[in-house]
Amino acid sequence: MNEEQKNKYYDKYLQAKQKGVKFWPDIIYKDLIVSFALFLLVIGLAAFVGVAQEPKADPFDSNYVPRPEWYFLFLFEFLKFIPGQLEWVGTTLIPGIGILILLFLPFLDRNPYRHWKKRKIGLMVMGLIVLGIVGLTVRSVVTTPEVEEVALAGSIAEQVIQGQDLYSIYCVECHQPDGEGGEVVGVEGLEGVILKPINSQDEMWTRTDETLFNVIDYGQQDLGMPPNGLGYGGELPRNEIEKIVTFMRYTWDERAEIPEEAIVGIPALTEGEAPSYEVHISMVVKRYCISCHRPGKENNEYLMGSYQEMLTTGNNADKNIIAGDLQNSYLILTLYRESILDPATGEEMIGPMPPSKDLKAEYVEMFERWILEGMPETADEAAALSSPAVEEVAPESTVTEVTPEP
Amino acid sequence: MAGKVFAWFDERLGLEAFYSTVLDRKIPKVNWWFTLGSASLFLCVIQALTGVFLTMYYVPSPAVAYDSIQYITKGVAFGWLVRGIHHWSATLLVITLFLHMLRTFFYGAYKFPREMTWMTGVLLFLLTLGMGLTGYLLPWNQRSYWATTVATEIFGTVPFLGDFLFKVLRGGTDLSALTLARFFSAHIWILPAGVVLLLGVHMVLIVKLGISNIPGEDE
Repeated sequence: MNEEQKNKYYDKYLQAKQKGVKFWPDIIYKDLIVSFALFLLVIGLAAFVGVAQEPKADPFDSNYVPRPEWYFLFLFEFLKFIPGQLEWVGTTLIPGIGILILLFLPFLDRNPYRHWKKRKIGLMVMGLIVLGIVGLTVRSVVTTPEVEEVALAGSIAEQVIQGQDLYSIYCVECHQPDGEGGEVVGVEGLEGVILKPINSQDEMWTRTDETLFNVIDYGQQDLGMPPNGLGYGGELPRNEIEKIVTFMRYTWDERAEIPEEAIVGIPALTEGEAPSYEVHISMVVKRYCISCHRPGKENNEYLMGSYQEMLTTGNNADKNIIAGDLQNSYLILTLYRESILDPATGEEMIGPMPPSKDLKAEYVEMFERWILEGMPETADEAAALSSPAVEEVAPESTVTEVTPEP
Repeated sequence: MAGKVFAWFDERLGLEAFYSTVLDRKIPKVNWWFTLGSASLFLCVIQALTGVFLTMYYVPSPAVAYDSIQYITKGVAFGWLVRGIHHWSATLLVITLFLHMLRTFFYGAYKFPREMTWMTGVLLFLLTLGMGLTGYLLPWNQRSYWATTVATEIFGTVPFLGDFLFKVLRGGTDLSALTLARFFSAHIWILPAGVVLLLGVHMVLIVKLGISNIPGEDE
């Protein structure tokens, strides 16, 4: 810009200033309105949208899809278009040049005019860059897979409940549903090993949470316990191990007081009530069966993870559960601790279940009634099958209110 | 009495002069887009205030960082709100800064005599992105851990300097307690120091040069 242009600019600016307004209060008034509106917006977002909960960092869980802060997404997306050996072009050269151009823009742009009509090329270039950034951001949001829902335990109670579910899957096959241990039956490589109880006072008073965590994470491989942590080849991320530890501590250590809402029992059946998969059977299965009857275990391919799986999987799918037939349903026979023999060879095909000890009589009865009623899935289906409950047969003596039929 | 007190301070601080040079000055008539700068400053102040409160409970160590944030959101009175404000205000700040820059560009306000205002502004924007990058790691959750893993790897691809930058950022080859400590330090000391410095220059220049006018067709 030469001196003449500079002076011309000063003249114009002076004119604009004279026709203008006072900084205080005119400009500040507008600023305050916008700032106040933003303040309300921020409070609203903080109060009603909040901050997404995420599980704790787990250096071993490399399956996690990295997601940068949203305003860096366009850079990530941009890098996808750059071939590997030219990575530095995308990460250094282009962003570097971009930043330098932006920084030194006043010196690179020699056009003395300010009004948009006389700077059309510059504005078009900037417009395209902005569109590109917005477009790449949108593309990135659309193509990145949704964050997998992870069960996050906020309270101790939630930790205990989720921890018990995990314990039931990963630990019960050897340590038994209540940590009582005993002889391991039906687990590859550990057949016949006798496990000490892990729910005892000795155990709880002498092992800190950290020790319990490490035992689950690394295992005790000389004693036969395999590692469970992702970092050592197991299946559990760190936050899940922490939940199991919390479950053990609050359930078996009498010094810890378990929150009431963390005690989830299996609902008992009332007289004449038909059990459903949803309310009753799935709860029993979750505690006593799923540890072995899940993929990757020795279980004759019989999986019990869902209603469908229970009815349709396994090498003997047609005989496992036969509606109304307690004499021939393998599920019930094994719960009666009978061995199922292969009709062709006469060898034992399926042993008594659960392998190492009897299922409580009330749960066996629950399975019996469920099969007799034809395996209702939902609570509603079961309710329809239930014989009228006792209290509905009201004694004549009570005052009955007359309610008009709708 | 009040007049005497004012006179005492005015004699020593020059309040009248401040009033006449900073507040009681003529400014070109501008539109609402010109509020984006002060809006960004406002959000910046919110970030500083909420950030200070967060450091009272936050512990920058991998063992407890996550739990300390759990405690802030669940245990501390209004901790959830302060953290929520810090989170959302950061997001809005990036947006207002970006729009502020586009407004400046559209009106050609980066031209003479405001070249230095523009340059400090660009640097402030980069520092803000740096605040976002370092702040993202602090909650020490899955999202922050893996995003930072990738981000530091990207710095590692810079020709010649890559390996050095990578190790400086991480404090070694792994993303570790050292990484968290230096990101925290950068987030609350180094980058804010730069922001304060540049923001000071930016503001002085704005007052000295006056905010730009909306250019007429012949300008």
